Parts: sequence; C-alpha cells; structure tokens
Amino acid sequence: MTKKYLRMTLNERLQHLNLAVNFTLLVITGFALSYSTAFWVTPITDLPMGMTFRGFLHRLCGVATVFLGGYHLLYLAFTPRGRGIVKDMIPKLKDAQDLWETLKNNLFINRPAKEIKMPRFNFREKLEYLGLIWGTIVMTVTGFILWFKTEWLQFFPMWTWDVARTIHFYEAVLATLTIIVWHFYSVIFNPDTYPMSWAWITGYLTEHEMKEEHGLELEKIKAQERGELKELPEEATIRRKKIYAIPREKMEGERRKPVTVGGFYGIVQRFNESIKNWKGT
Amino acid sequence: MRQRETGSKLWNILTGGLAIFLVWGWMIGIAWSDNSLCLSCHKDESLSKEDARGKKISLFVQEVGFKNSVHGKLSCSDCHIRIKDDKHAEGGLKATDKKVNCGVCHGKAEKEYFQGLHSKLIMKGTERAASCHDCHGKHDILPSKNPKSKTHVSNVDKTCNRCHADAVFVKEHALGPPLPKEEFRESVHGRTGEITCTNCHGSHNLRSLIDPQSQIFRSNIPQTCGGCHPEITKQFVESVHGVLAARGRSDSPTCTTCHGFHGIKAKVDPDSPVHERRIAMTTCPQCHAAERISQEYRITTVPVKSYYDSFHGLSYRGGDTFSANCASCHGVHDIRPSSDPKSMIHKDNLQKTCGNCHPGASENFAKGKIHLVASIKGEEFGEKVVGWVKIVYIFLIVAVIGGLTFFNFTDWLRKTIDRAH
Repeated sequence: MTKKYLRMTLNERLQHLNLAVNFTLLVITGFALSYSTAFWVTPITDLPMGMTFRGFLHRLCGVATVFLGGYHLLYLAFTPRGRGIVKDMIPKLKDAQDLWETLKNNLFINRPAKEIKMPRFNFREKLEYLGLIWGTIVMTVTGFILWFKTEWLQFFPMWTWDVARTIHFYEAVLATLTIIVWHFYSVIFNPDTYPMSWAWITGYLTEHEMKEEHGLELEKIKAQERGELKELPEEATIRRKKIYAIPREKMEGERRKPVTVGGFYGIVQRFNESIKNWKGT
Repeated sequence: MRQRETGSKLWNILTGGLAIFLVWGWMIGIAWSDNSLCLSCHKDESLSKEDARGKKISLFVQEVGFKNSVHGKLSCSDCHIRIKDDKHAEGGLKATDKKVNCGVCHGKAEKEYFQGLHSKLIMKGTERAASCHDCHGKHDILPSKNPKSKTHVSNVDKTCNRCHADAVFVKEHALGPPLPKEEFRESVHGRTGEITCTNCHGSHNLRSLIDPQSQIFRSNIPQTCGGCHPEITKQFVESVHGVLAARGRSDSPTCTTCHGFHGIKAKVDPDSPVHERRIAMTTCPQCHAAERISQEYRITTVPVKSYYDSFHGLSYRGGDTFSANCASCHGVHDIRPSSDPKSMIHKDNLQKTCGNCHPGASENFAKGKIHLVASIKGEEFGEKVVGWVKIVYIFLIVAVIGGLTFFNFTDWLRKTIDRAH
C-alpha cells in the first residue's frame, strides 16, 4: 500500500462538489437561453413554463454559488488550513518559471527534460483558482445587474445593462471553455492522471501523483517526517524576514477558546445568571 | 209559351254548356295545378333526353321534393313557360327559350346576380359558372331558413365547396389550389355556425377579388370584417398599417395578412398565425424581415434581428410566453409609428409600456435603445461600447483558450511520446 497524501478534506470536497453541480447547472440553464432553439434545449423548452423554470433555476444556482463563495472566503479566513491555502496560493515568480520550463520540456527544447519540482499548488492550479475567483466576481456582478434591472436602470443608462449582458455571456463562454480545456485536462485527460484524479472523491493523492505534480511539497512533507523541518506554531510571527517563535505555554494561555454551540450556550447561561444575581448599583 | 220553352231550352243548353265548360276547366285546372299531367311522364326516373352533344340529361322530377319545396304550390308551367321540344309543341307553343327564368318573380335577386362574378363568367362563356339553380337547387328549392336548404347558413359552405373544393373544377377554371373542404368549417367563423361564405363574399352580387366594389377587394377588407368587429376596424384604420392599406399600398397588411382568410383560428389556437408563440416568429417577420419589402420601402430588418438576439427574443424563441413579443410593446391592431403621440412606443408612453411587465420601471428605464445592435460602427455610443466589449472578449477567449489548448496539447504529446519509449 503506497502512502497517500491528503489533498482535500471532506469540507473542501463538499465545496468542490457543490461548485461542480452549481456550475454545471448554471452552464446548462444559461446557454439554454442563448441558444434557445438548439436541439439540446428541447427538454427544457418542451416543458410547460420550461423557460420560466430555466430562469428560476439559473438564478437559484447563481445565488447558491455566491453563498458558496462567501462560505469559501470565511473558510479561508477562519481556519488554519484555509489560511495555509491562501498562503500557498499566492502566485510567485517560480510559477512562471515552472510554466516556461514545462513548455520547453514539452517542446523538446530542454534536452534532456528538466525535472521540475512544483509546490503545493502548481502553476496550473493557481491559474485556474485565480481565474475562478475572477470569473465568479464578474459573473456575480453582471448577473445581479441583469437580474435587478429595474433598480440598476434607475441610475444607469440602458447600454450599461447591455454591456453587462454581453460580458455575462462571453465570460460564461470563457469560463466553460476553461473548465473543459484546462481543468478537465488536469484531472482527466492528462496521461498521468487518466482516467481521473480521485482526489475530489477520496481526498487523497498517490505518491506518484505528488511527485509528478507537487514535487516540492512532497520533499517538504518528507523532511517534516524526518524531523528536519521545525514545525512552527501558526501564531509564529514573521517580522523583517526573521521568525520569532512564541513559547507554546504562553501561547496556549492566551489562545481564546473557539466559540462552539456549547460555549455559546455557556456565555448565555452566565449572562443570564449575572442578570439574576444583579442587586442594583 | 212555345217561345218561352224554346228560350228556356236555349237557356238550358247554355247553362249545361257552361257547366260542362266549367267542370272541364276545373278539371284542367286541377290537372295543371297538381301538375299531374307533367308528372305523369316526369315521375319516371329513367326519363331522359340527349342534348346536342349526345350527353344524357335526366328529366326525372321527384314529386315529393317538389311538393315540399317553397315553390310546391306553383304549377310547372309557371316556371317552364316555354318548352322548345317537338313532344311538348304538339299541345302548344314552340318556344325559343327553354331555360327557366327565375327573374320573372325574383327581379331584385336577378338584378344583383347580373352584377356579380358568376353571371359575368357565364356571359363570357364559362359553362359551369353558377347560375340560380346551382346554388338554390331546381325543383326542391327550400327557403333559406329551412335547415335542409342548400342556402341555409349551415349548408352554404357545402354548396360552394361542390365546385370550389373540387380539384378538377378548380384546376380547369384556374382558381388556384382547391380549398380544403373542412378548412372553413374548422375555422373560428365556421364553428360559430352563424357565419358562412356569403357573409364575406356576398351572395347574388358576389364579386371578383380584383373588383374594387367587391367586399373582399383588398382595401375593402377592413370594412367587411368590421361588419362584425367594428371596434377592431376602428383601431386598425387609424394604425400605420391601416392608413397605408387605405392608400392602396398592396404590401401593407390588412386583416387577412395576419389572420388568414378561410381558416381563421382563434388567437389561443396554436395553429393560428396570431397565436402568441407565432407573432414574433412568422406573423410580423413575414414582412419586417422580408428581403423584398424591406428593400422596396427602405424599412429595416434590424428590429427583428436585434429582437431575436435580445433577452426577450431569446427567451421567446425558447417558448417563454411571458417574454415580450412584437405586440407587447407595439400594440396589435393599433400599431402606430413612434412619432405618433398615441403610439405605445412614443417616448412619452414608453415608461408605461415597459411598466406593463416591469412594475416600477423608472423614467430612466424607458430611455435608451431597445433594438440595440452590437457594432463598433454603431449609431449610438452604447452600441459602440457593446461592440467593443464583444470584440475584446472574443479576442480574449481566442487568446486564452487557444493558449491553454496549445499548452495542454504539447503536454499531452510529450507525455504520450515519453510513454511510447
């Protein structure tokens, strides 16, 4: 049994699944309007009120995606793992170099092919993730303009609405094609991962996959396992490129207990008691 | 005394002669009036003669049918006043005219008929053009109020269809394609049971389509339909289409252009050309997206094209009937140019028109171009902006997707080659 490396936690997998379903529904219900006479739209148009239902579903999925985006932001901000993702997702010069060297490898310019070790999120993933964020923002803004036209047109001329409509359509084309060309290549048609990368279901990558796609991360994990790399507590601060470790005892004393349902109940209970015991000033 | 006796004898002879004469006359009278003399021969079903061309013509008269007909009390000779025939000539006049002339009694109808199309065609020598008996029947004529009458409102279409739905007849007389028999009967007018062919075409004075006095002449159609639909005609004659149609523009639509003629259907019927699913697909575009008409009158086909590309049009084409079609904004019978202050699309009325579907539409909402065409050479600033956005995005898509595809292709190629070795 080869060792497996955690790639996506259950929470992340559910987020991914949620996005996949919503994105697919948005693509179908959206292009069903733009190409309303196409053969593949007949299941929708043959329904009584099919087009009305289409519009409703599109808006519903849009709202769901916006909420998912909001949840994702909270996840990134308020979980240690999320903050780690943000940190690792920042594009660096090395990503551009990786891309360039990969291209040179592919075109037999580098002879022999250079071994490229890529970090936790390689240039493919960074490109796609940042593109997704950009696309979601654009689609959300233009989508809400299209939806709330009466409100929008109180302040802006009609042509701005038409611009929003044009952007919404072409951005959709771009996003859909990117998913098909880029994402589906990475996780399906890439000869190294074909027939599919199972990480979105199982959550784990194999060592081989790690080596191919995230060589640097693999080395880091192995070094950690050997104990060569000191694991710093997350609260360690970095100032002027110097790392100051905070003593663990002190840190645990200061760390605030996370607010759970039980904890919140305790707060309410204490508050209640203090009101009850209040004897006036 | 003797003289008196002689006188009385003469008197007796005279009286007796008179009595015999009266009885004889009475008998003759009976014989004529119950037509038994004629029917004694003509009740034979096989009685027939040959005309000049050797065609067999039946001379059978059904006694019961005639007795029950509206003319049942008349005698044969009231209509058949002259019969040019050696057999009949033995007893009386040998006449020149053997045809029955209904005009002797029905002068008014005859006068109307002579102005109509059928009589003119007969005069030109068309043999089978309808004369009185073709529509009313011969011996068995019933009053048109009788439901069994050929001219009863429920039977008129059958009577007309005997010729006009007959493929051979229609072809021989170059009347265009034959009418499908049930077309009118299944139409919204046919189903009422109160409207029939003659309501629009006229009866005795039925005129040709190209006769300016005809009820179905192009510019008379709104008046003909207005006989039953006065309010709609009132709206239509003031509309842009009605004004042009009245001035003789043959390409300007009139009632039938949109509604059809014989097979007019209710607007809720999906087969109706004015059904809400078809208005923006075929009804208005039949002219407003037509090459010839748009060139001839320099009207633009842009509104149709831009509508199809708009949200309204795209959703409509997918079958959304809540989405605006042409009539939602432009009106139906009372379509007026945007310069007309009564027009639904006049700038003062637009807010209300948009507000029909978009409650809360502001004044600003109704400003701006609706039939917008994205083009960098567009007339308006907005059109140019949209055109540029489109171009930039297409460029972006081609560059990004092209780049990604290229990169992935090299990646795939390299990995495949590596595997082959």
